[in-house]
Amino acid sequence: MAAGGPVQAALQVAQALETILSGCVGPEGRQVLCTKPTGEVLLSRDGGRLLAALHLEHPLARVMVACVSSHLRKTGDGAKTFIIFLCHLLRGLHAATDKEKDSLISKHSHTQGRHWKTCCRWKFISQALLRFQTQVLDRVVDQCLSRHFLSIFSSSTKGRRLCRSSFQLLLEAYFGGRVGRNNHSFISQLMCDYFFQCMACESGCEEVSELVDDCFVELNIGVTGLPVSDSRILAGLVLHRDFSVYCPADGDIRIAFVTETIQPLFSSSGSEFILNSEAQFQTSQFWIMERTKAIMKSLQSQNVKLLLSSVKQPDLVIYYAGLNGISVVECLSSEEMSLIQRIIGLSPFVLPQASSQYEISSAALVKFCKPLILRSKRYVHLGLISTCSFIPHCMVLCAPVQGLVEQHEGALHGAFKMLRQLFKDLDLSYTTQTSGQNYTSSPLIYKNRESNQLPEIVSGSIQRPPQGTVEKNEGELAKTHTYLKVHSNLVVPSVGSETCISCSTPKVIPADTHQTDETRRCLSANKTRIIDDRDSFIESDPTTESTAENTRVEASYENLSITKMAGKGSMLPVRCKPLEMGASQSYSFSSIPAGCVLPVGGNFEILLHYYLLNYVKKCQQSEAAMVGMIIANALLGIPRILYKSRKGNRSFPQVYVRALHVLQTNQPMGSSQTGLESVSGKYQLLTSVLHCLAKILTIDLVISIKRQPQEIYDQESEEEL
Amino acid sequence: MSRLEAKKPSLCKSEPLTSERVRATLLVLKGIVASCYGPSGRLKQLHNGLGGSVCTTSQSSALLANLSVTHPILKILTTSVQNHVSCFSDCGLFTAILCCNLIENVQRLDLTPTTLIKLNKHLLNLCTSYLQSEVCGCRIPVDFSSTQILLCLVRSVLTSKPACMLTRKEVDHISTLILRAFLLTIPENAGDHISLGSSIIVPLKGQRVVDSTVLPGILIELSEIRLMKILPVKKSDSLKVALFRVSLSGDLSDTGEGSVVVSYGVSLENAVLDQLLNLGRQLVSDHVDLVLCQKVIHPSLKQFLGVHRVLAIDRVGAALMEPLSKVTATVCSLLLCNRNGTAWDELKLTCQTALHVLQLTIKEPCVLLGGGCTETHLAAYIRHKTFSDPESILKGSGCTSTELQLITEAFCTALESLTGSLEHDGGEILTDMKYGHFWSVQADSPSDVNWPDLLTRCGCGLHNSREELSWSFLRTARHPFAPRPCLPHEAVGSANNLTLDCFTAKLSGLQVAVETANLILDLSYVIEDKN
Repeated sequence: MAAGGPVQAALQVAQALETILSGCVGPEGRQVLCTKPTGEVLLSRDGGRLLAALHLEHPLARVMVACVSSHLRKTGDGAKTFIIFLCHLLRGLHAATDKEKDSLISKHSHTQGRHWKTCCRWKFISQALLRFQTQVLDRVVDQCLSRHFLSIFSSSTKGRRLCRSSFQLLLEAYFGGRVGRNNHSFISQLMCDYFFQCMACESGCEEVSELVDDCFVELNIGVTGLPVSDSRILAGLVLHRDFSVYCPADGDIRIAFVTETIQPLFSSSGSEFILNSEAQFQTSQFWIMERTKAIMKSLQSQNVKLLLSSVKQPDLVIYYAGLNGISVVECLSSEEMSLIQRIIGLSPFVLPQASSQYEISSAALVKFCKPLILRSKRYVHLGLISTCSFIPHCMVLCAPVQGLVEQHEGALHGAFKMLRQLFKDLDLSYTTQTSGQNYTSSPLIYKNRESNQLPEIVSGSIQRPPQGTVEKNEGELAKTHTYLKVHSNLVVPSVGSETCISCSTPKVIPADTHQTDETRRCLSANKTRIIDDRDSFIESDPTTESTAENTRVEASYENLSITKMAGKGSMLPVRCKPLEMGASQSYSFSSIPAGCVLPVGGNFEILLHYYLLNYVKKCQQSEAAMVGMIIANALLGIPRILYKSRKGNRSFPQVYVRALHVLQTNQPMGSSQTGLESVSGKYQLLTSVLHCLAKILTIDLVISIKRQPQEIYDQESEEEL
Repeated sequence: MSRLEAKKPSLCKSEPLTSERVRATLLVLKGIVASCYGPSGRLKQLHNGLGGSVCTTSQSSALLANLSVTHPILKILTTSVQNHVSCFSDCGLFTAILCCNLIENVQRLDLTPTTLIKLNKHLLNLCTSYLQSEVCGCRIPVDFSSTQILLCLVRSVLTSKPACMLTRKEVDHISTLILRAFLLTIPENAGDHISLGSSIIVPLKGQRVVDSTVLPGILIELSEIRLMKILPVKKSDSLKVALFRVSLSGDLSDTGEGSVVVSYGVSLENAVLDQLLNLGRQLVSDHVDLVLCQKVIHPSLKQFLGVHRVLAIDRVGAALMEPLSKVTATVCSLLLCNRNGTAWDELKLTCQTALHVLQLTIKEPCVLLGGGCTETHLAAYIRHKTFSDPESILKGSGCTSTELQLITEAFCTALESLTGSLEHDGGEILTDMKYGHFWSVQADSPSDVNWPDLLTRCGCGLHNSREELSWSFLRTARHPFAPRPCLPHEAVGSANNLTLDCFTAKLSGLQVAVETANLILDLSYVIEDKN
């Protein structure tokens, strides 16, 4: 390894990749054309695809690409940001260590020894990075950043509900970075419509995003040669094959599934069929025919009009199906079968061996079943009646060239992956094990801005009562909930705390720590301020006070949120986290709650940057301070690129200074850009990059092997055998 | 086992469009497609040095299928045109030329890709919404009670393909045949859901074009000797037909995964043949006259049927099975003749295009004015629209009016120079200042003559030069004006020899051209996989 150690080498590689990828970042990003050796062309703005297409040879580059792709498999977003952020981190590290170099050289004059010494030092830094992530970053996100979070959900008395306008903003921002700029608004609108059409009930968003992510290939059809604007949503499920027999039928259609051939065969596996005479052969054939006929007849008599088969059926079955008015679709893939079963909750019917009764135990209905012709290719179009919270719909994606269809497919699939992550809580490794007193001394958090103006303030603080009083308090909690539900759509996710309730009136209460311009307007009209007056709150709580020494306070402290504002336009709702009535008394795993978003345009980065700087100022350890500083500065790399083409008031330095001012004076953060992005996605990205960097730093030597790569056998499994 | 091999790194180039080589190749491609455009387009001879037949053509589908394009940017362009053609059959050259023109014109402007793409898209939306609106001045509704407009449409398709080598008389003959063939595929008693039948094109090479004809029903090729045998069979007006999809060869069907043990002396072949002959007896006793089988008929069964004067035809093939199974409905055969193989191939493609265009027209019953008039009219409309009401376009786009003007000019010039490609003999192109139609003057015309004397009819044939119009050269600057729409009765009045274009195909071609151009303009890098 060169004298500069892994950092310098990695920096060179990362910079080369950054040059290519930074051109595709953000709403102004451009496309890259990739050719395959087969002659196909692919258009992409997807960082992961571009990195893969480069076929990089450099060992460090390969490490980076591997890290990016494993991150992408999980989250579906952030490849470009990954590289840019990594590049900035490396730059920061390089600059920071450059200064110390002179002193190092003077101390260790033996070159060999120096090499190992530097490697050792990198290893320490690498460990410091990981430690910093779990110990500091997670805490900063949980305690400081969280007050800025918005939520994609609007909560009502009936629990959380996906807010369409916020959802639209989220998708718009996502696709702005993934598809060509002349199509991104169209595609995000398509996706938004698709999602809402597929969702049977408002609480089903998680299930829908999971199902579509899993079965994405089966749920869309690519059509080339048509303008993108011809893309559309079809109600029902489209199978990528044609009917073997099609018999038009009206009304609700009963369907049956089979996974084996209906026609009996001469011999089944492992058995022998002995033919003694020609007559016997003819009789057997006749019997087979009669039986097939009987099965199909009985299907018809049970009103089955559509037979879905995962295997190819013999001609005879097809013939009798046609005679009996049963449409047949054969050779369904296992993915298609499982998707259909997931949607309608029906299992295949098994042919009884001997009996002449072919009752279908489970049956499902489809609304329609017809051929669909798209660009002279024939498909089967089924109007499945769903039994889960996913109402089947298909997307027809049109584009002039296949490469563009693939781009849109890739982006849409990524979007569902992103949503899947967004709808889940992201656990942070930071656990709090604090008592009430510790809390008050916590340095970073909770400026206790009190507002005694109106009782329209609710601060929901979760704290765990001492064990002995659990039952009592739970009873109170139940009471409190009913009380609140009766009066308003207010949700108080707090464990029964009488002080809390007494200072809140069950009116429509906006509790928000930060708003976009829009919400701010709404809120200021109501003259509301948000408080997070945990400290005063805890102190006023008699139970906590009395047991301050031996009780640990659970640190989940999610604030309740109320979103409905009378008569004021759409607004971004605040999160509402379901209570964790954890079994553990002393620990609380903090998490980023499901649905948390921030406005796009580098908001996440600037906020985190600001809080990290705050941390660094107070930090005693020099090592953590250095790491914190490097990360804080590297974070600004993304907004710098995003605001690159902006001038004057919208240029990056201006935006940055304004944001810092706003934060210092505790004003709510405004955003110049519409659009939202997932916080958990961003944070996962940040941790992935840190892990990648740590991995790179720990390598002290690259050994190049000049031999054909060998297949790796899974030795463990062999041993088990 | 998968082969494990180290991959070579890819080649990555930035800003591909600025490269001189790419511009030059784009120009070459444009030169090829533009010179083929229109009735007087030049023919291309595609010749593969390694063998195969020589192809003479001016159609985009034949041209692009044979052209080997290596540069990825050109590949995007050509595949996009090819995909369009496979959807709509028509307007491939239109799409290709417009796309090349757009890239060329827009690229000259010193504007950011974001602005270019955004405004291009706005202008495209203006075009499509105008073409689809009721006030559109270059669209004529199709009157299905008369054949005039449909015949004009078919004739326009035929005349725009000079490689078919048809005389005027032959064009008329073939147009009528195509229209007849199309009408034969429309079912008589259609319910709510109409499904058109098919017309099968049967090749008769080496005969005169005027010998082409159209027959209802399906033609199946038979040897002459067998045909002689059949002729006396004809007993009545109708034949009873039995159609088999399954094989009648006596093969054993799938016997399952286990094994079948046959005792000595038992012949399954005989058993199966017995069954086949039983089937034959049944067919004879049912008075079937014709047995058709997709697969093979056992020779013994064939002979048995022959003895009983039942005509058996096997190996019909899957392609004919579908039309055969609805033979009673709407199938016709178009027997197409042309002098030689090359011209026949071109004529066949053209006939398929024309039939497809007719199908598309049934779905969307209107046509666009052809002969370049739609393009010049559209350009005039866009110029007028952006001149008179730029605010509505710029609203919320963040672009300046200067930028809009520049793009509009580039966009409209692209449309107009596309019509310029219709003229291959050095003539001049003009446009009138009232309808915004396309007019062309022969080369070397005296310059001091009165325009109305020199010009006769506009490109589509709707207006003649005696209508008190004023003209301007297409390449000179004009003051924007609102082009007047043509009135339906005018269209009907002179509908006999209008040049018309398929509405659906052209609209989609326009969209695809602009979308593809936008795509290419948006490229910042090209990564070539060198494996």
